[in-house]
Amino acid sequence: MSGLNASLATALSGLITEQGALQTTTNNVSNVNTPGYSRQEPVLVASDPVVVNPLTFGTGVTLQNVESIRDPILESRIQQETQTQGQYSSLAQALQQTQIDFTSNTGDIGSAISSFFDSVNQLSTNPADLSLRQGTLTAAGNVATSFNTAANNLTQQRTNLDLSVVQTVGQINQFSQQIARLNGLVGNLQNVGENAGTFIDQRTQLIDQLSALTDVSVIPSDNTLTLTTANGVPLVTGQQSFQLQIQTNFAGLHDVYSQGSNITGTITSGQLGGTIQARDRQIPAFQTQLDTLAAGLANAVNAVQAGGFDLNGVAGTNLFTPPPVSGVGAAASLSVALTNPALIAASSDGTPGSNGNAEVLYALRNQAVISSQTPTAYYSGIVFNVGNETANANAEQNASALVLQQLNDQRASISGVSLDQEAANLVRYQQAYSASAQVISAINSMMQTVINMKTS
Amino acid sequence: MRVNPNPLPDVIAALAQTQQQINTDLQQIASGQSVNVPSDNPSSAAELIQNAGQASEADQFLRSAGSIQGEIQNADSTLNSVTTSLQRAISLGVEGANGTLNSADRQAVATEVRGIQSQLVSLANLTYQGNYVFAGTATQTTPYVVDPNSSSGVSYKGNSGINSVTLGNHFALQTNLPGSQVFSAAGGDVFQSIQDLINSLESGTGIDTAVTELGKASNSIDAQRVFYGNALNQLSAQQTYLGTETAQLAQRQNTIGAADLSSVISNLTTAETAHQATLQAVGQTARIDLFDFIK
Repeated sequence: MSGLNASLATALSGLITEQGALQTTTNNVSNVNTPGYSRQEPVLVASDPVVVNPLTFGTGVTLQNVESIRDPILESRIQQETQTQGQYSSLAQALQQTQIDFTSNTGDIGSAISSFFDSVNQLSTNPADLSLRQGTLTAAGNVATSFNTAANNLTQQRTNLDLSVVQTVGQINQFSQQIARLNGLVGNLQNVGENAGTFIDQRTQLIDQLSALTDVSVIPSDNTLTLTTANGVPLVTGQQSFQLQIQTNFAGLHDVYSQGSNITGTITSGQLGGTIQARDRQIPAFQTQLDTLAAGLANAVNAVQAGGFDLNGVAGTNLFTPPPVSGVGAAASLSVALTNPALIAASSDGTPGSNGNAEVLYALRNQAVISSQTPTAYYSGIVFNVGNETANANAEQNASALVLQQLNDQRASISGVSLDQEAANLVRYQQAYSASAQVISAINSMMQTVINMKTS
Repeated sequence: MRVNPNPLPDVIAALAQTQQQINTDLQQIASGQSVNVPSDNPSSAAELIQNAGQASEADQFLRSAGSIQGEIQNADSTLNSVTTSLQRAISLGVEGANGTLNSADRQAVATEVRGIQSQLVSLANLTYQGNYVFAGTATQTTPYVVDPNSSSGVSYKGNSGINSVTLGNHFALQTNLPGSQVFSAAGGDVFQSIQDLINSLESGTGIDTAVTELGKASNSIDAQRVFYGNALNQLSAQQTYLGTETAQLAQRQNTIGAADLSSVISNLTTAETAHQATLQAVGQTARIDLFDFIK
């Protein structure tokens, strides 16, 4: 069986196989910039030998498979870090907007409170003076406005974050659908033993993108994948995707539902997790602190007013519109109740020249009237909290970005296309191809010799 | 070992990082502040707010002290005029007690003393910025009105209220004395003694007693003036203190919040150098691979 024809077949297998290997290199080079693409390697194996007693002859080479080079464990690590990165980058982005309201400027709450008490001290030097009284009313108005502005901005920010929740859920659903479809394609190919590398690359890329949006846990099973959130809510099982729904809650914001149950509180990472965290926890906490400050200040000022007398000797009435008893929304609704400056109760004895009650009002500046803190100290506490949360989110985001960068580096070192390597392979396959061709040409001439021998 | 064949994303990340440093440095140089948003340094940001609150308060105390000073100075110099008037009345009383004067002469002296009386009423009704200074806290009420039915010839319509103004932490300055205390003190009643002098001059008896009474009233006014003198001294001491405090708070504000320009500029230079070096390196190593060498 070890005839010339057999040699021809063996040489031919070399030609075909090297051509196939060359095709792999070509494909790698073409995809050098394709995101998510894992380089492929041809798997060459020697063909089954034939035994011609007593000798065993090789029968050439076979291109058994084209294999995508990837590290599934590394990829899973990247997906986890992408979730962290998504969470902190959306959180940092949200908080960076929040802290603008708490950045020192001429109209901020801290300056407004200072100016208000300054005006009261000035009023104390000449309590009957209408222009000084007007100054105090104006300063009180500025306090109210500064609270209103900050509170409204926080509310607006929550509304914007809510919009982002809705959009993100839509994107998650899209990715789930695409991943389910790719699960089908991968399964079909792998069931018949074909290389599904390209589809797996695409699926991995989609899972990465999904990871940026929400927490995903990937459970591989035979030729397919199951995706759930970290809390076990299914997103994709085989070829089926489970769509997340959104529903408006009592606060007018959107909750995330999966198959009828509210999973909003269980989403911890990814952009969705970070956005929900900012919308439902961080910003509401700042709102509550602002409300506490606004309500505490308004109530304290009103109580002092009630203990004194206005310019006409009448008992003082509320300077600020009384805040809601619960305190909720106090900052947003804070307003000055008085329009007539004569009604400021500066007097403690009913005469217009008494400043006794203005002094009591002024003393609030350095009294622990809000959660055992002075108004300014409490406000500076809020600023510290906002700054601290923002700084933390920034730091986490930077740290996670660094880790992610290193992981991606590592992935690229395994799966990335190296043009040097491909060039070397090209040379290798080309040479092997030429060599096989040479062999064929030699066999051809040998065959000619045989044929000529017969006809001569 | 296989290495990452495409380091460009790393390079871009490095460039973004140096760019971020450059931006931060430029912002600090432009604003002069190291804390531009609370997250730059949360505890400094909080401290800056409290410090700014204290600085604002100290500035206000200085303004309030200035506002009060005028009123106290006015009251003080008015009481000086009161003393002068009383001294003049005393000399007139001594003159009237001279036995050589006849009734008509004493009447003339009494008329002159009446002039002093009305002068004193107007001094006691001193106003400053629309307020009666010696009316207690009833600053919108004329404190002394001529009253023929009163033995002292006047009646006091003010009250005994006093005002204090906070001018520092744990420091409040009393800013006024009520007229009743200044002019109508027992054993030194200005208007009673003047009226008594007029009466005695007109009747010709008890002039000496009236003069003695006036002397006591004058002494009483001098004693009350000490209050205003003290107040002015305290005010000026407090202004000095507040001036120092303001300077210290400004210094503190600077220490916490001001950018350390020399180190910021040095950081900026470092970041710029790193940025340029990275860019240059990328330019020089740009995409050379084996393909360039295979024919």
